[in-house]
Amino acid sequence: MGKLFDELKKDILYQHGMNACLNCGVCTAVCPAAEFNDYSPREVMSTVQSEDDELIEELLKSDKIWYCGQCFSCKTRCPRGNSAASVILALRRLAIRHGYFADSEKGRQQLIAKRVFGENILKRGYTLLAENITPAHFPELGENWEYYYEHMEQMREWWGVPMNLENSPGSHRVVPEADMEEVRAIYQTTGAVSLMDAVEKGMEQKLGSKAEVDKYWKTWLETGDSRNYEIKEYEIKGE
Amino acid sequence: MKIAGKEKAWEKHHKHVPTVDEPGGKKWGCFRSCFLQSAAPYTEGIAYKILKNDLGIDLREAPGHTSCGAIGYHGDVSNLETQMVMAARNFSVAHHELGVDNLFSFCVTSFANYTEVIKLWQEEPELREYTEKTLKETTGRDFWIPHVCGAKPSVVHASDVFFANRHKLAAKAKYSLKGIKATDHVGCHYAKIFPDHSMGGAEFPQVLVGMLQAFGAEVVDYPERRHCCGMGFRQCAFPENRDYTAGSVYKKLQSLKSVHPDCKLILTNCPGCTVFLDAEQGTIKEVLEEEFNVSILDYAQLTGLLLGYDPFKDCGLNAKAVAIEPLLDAIGIPYDRSKSAEERRRPF
Repeated sequence: MGKLFDELKKDILYQHGMNACLNCGVCTAVCPAAEFNDYSPREVMSTVQSEDDELIEELLKSDKIWYCGQCFSCKTRCPRGNSAASVILALRRLAIRHGYFADSEKGRQQLIAKRVFGENILKRGYTLLAENITPAHFPELGENWEYYYEHMEQMREWWGVPMNLENSPGSHRVVPEADMEEVRAIYQTTGAVSLMDAVEKGMEQKLGSKAEVDKYWKTWLETGDSRNYEIKEYEIKGE
Repeated sequence: MKIAGKEKAWEKHHKHVPTVDEPGGKKWGCFRSCFLQSAAPYTEGIAYKILKNDLGIDLREAPGHTSCGAIGYHGDVSNLETQMVMAARNFSVAHHELGVDNLFSFCVTSFANYTEVIKLWQEEPELREYTEKTLKETTGRDFWIPHVCGAKPSVVHASDVFFANRHKLAAKAKYSLKGIKATDHVGCHYAKIFPDHSMGGAEFPQVLVGMLQAFGAEVVDYPERRHCCGMGFRQCAFPENRDYTAGSVYKKLQSLKSVHPDCKLILTNCPGCTVFLDAEQGTIKEVLEEEFNVSILDYAQLTGLLLGYDPFKDCGLNAKAVAIEPLLDAIGIPYDRSKSAEERRRPF
């Protein structure tokens, strides 16, 4: 037992997600992410249940915890009432708080999550915005989507779902500023803002400066693939 | 044996959602979906038209309600505590500002998120106290818990409201699905997290099947029917991870094709499934040169088509990877044949 495990144990997501795992592997059998990636919720549950800080730290620094698609198929099937997807949520938050997320390629993508989902909700009250679904990042939506994207406001009027209305119900409204202040106060008080700050800080430590973090972000925005940002792994590995 | 199992599941996982003819069923508060308003806004549009015009529901939403924030929860930018207070805020706004008691959300992840926090408040009194206190401190608002399904603290999903009123909708329909093979794809967050709060549980969910049957379709089963679409939050949102999404869609559609190659309609109730089960067919076509041509419609789009709403202007089928016309032809739904496929989709 160690410090990391103790911290994990305090998380309600862990308490509700982990009773006692018999390692039967049903979660991995039904897991869509296990099918496509080097990932096994059974292995994650086993590692965590060992209460071994060294193994947990290794897990937190790896890509593995970021492969879960949060479908909760594992929760439905577990014969012991565990929820590996909830344990994953607790592990991801632990990895962010300690900066371990920045050690893996998939973990570093949290910068994108923070700057898209996180900043959207603090600015507009929605985790996703119409402008996020760009034809460049979603080429599979096709040429008709490109047409829609170029005529976004007009198309939405035509469909009967006008956007950005003020002081009104409706799709993609402008949430009144007084309500937005409440949202920001909630995110501040419940620790979400600290969690987001930890992502920026962890990335800055890993990449060396704020400017490099912005370069990572810009690379993703422009190419849709954060792997096009070359990380200078070698200098940092010795720490 | 097969039937007995299904009936048992139905008995165990049945929840009551009031129809428009029952007390409480004519006035609903609703929560918008940030996923739909970004990636498929027309689905909420057609749902609104049907609920208001065809079912006569008094539908209310406050300008100040927000996303539940759960994309950020499953996308790891918020905490469970955040989700509890955000949910409590939306409930409080709906009840105290709009005077509604019964609430539904357009997103299945919001539905699961609200169900999760309501359960936590019941199971862990200190979390309820925390939420009540933090809500008051951060917003000045009063805590309130909805009870849609009788005595059970609960909210429901928009597709539950359609399901509850399916016979009324089927009676008004201009077209039927007689002779059409169809299947369902129920969103993971509708049934897998809290099977007891879904209509029919996780294995035999009835919410969409019930609608398909009411409209006369022949419902077919296939091996990977309950496999996730692969939306996966951070997986679909970042293009570099979307091979997971495309892979999941490929697995499902191959499985459907292997047993029912003539099934060309999947009914959905989750924003993510509605968008990606369709869109990734475009990727598969481009990368593997394999076509499935299975139309993916959400419960409101299908109901809209059958009630006689325009496939493009009302139901928003402009930007699907899979062309809708073959399905319209099979059902017998007319559309403007004097225009080209592109002209029908691009009005300006």
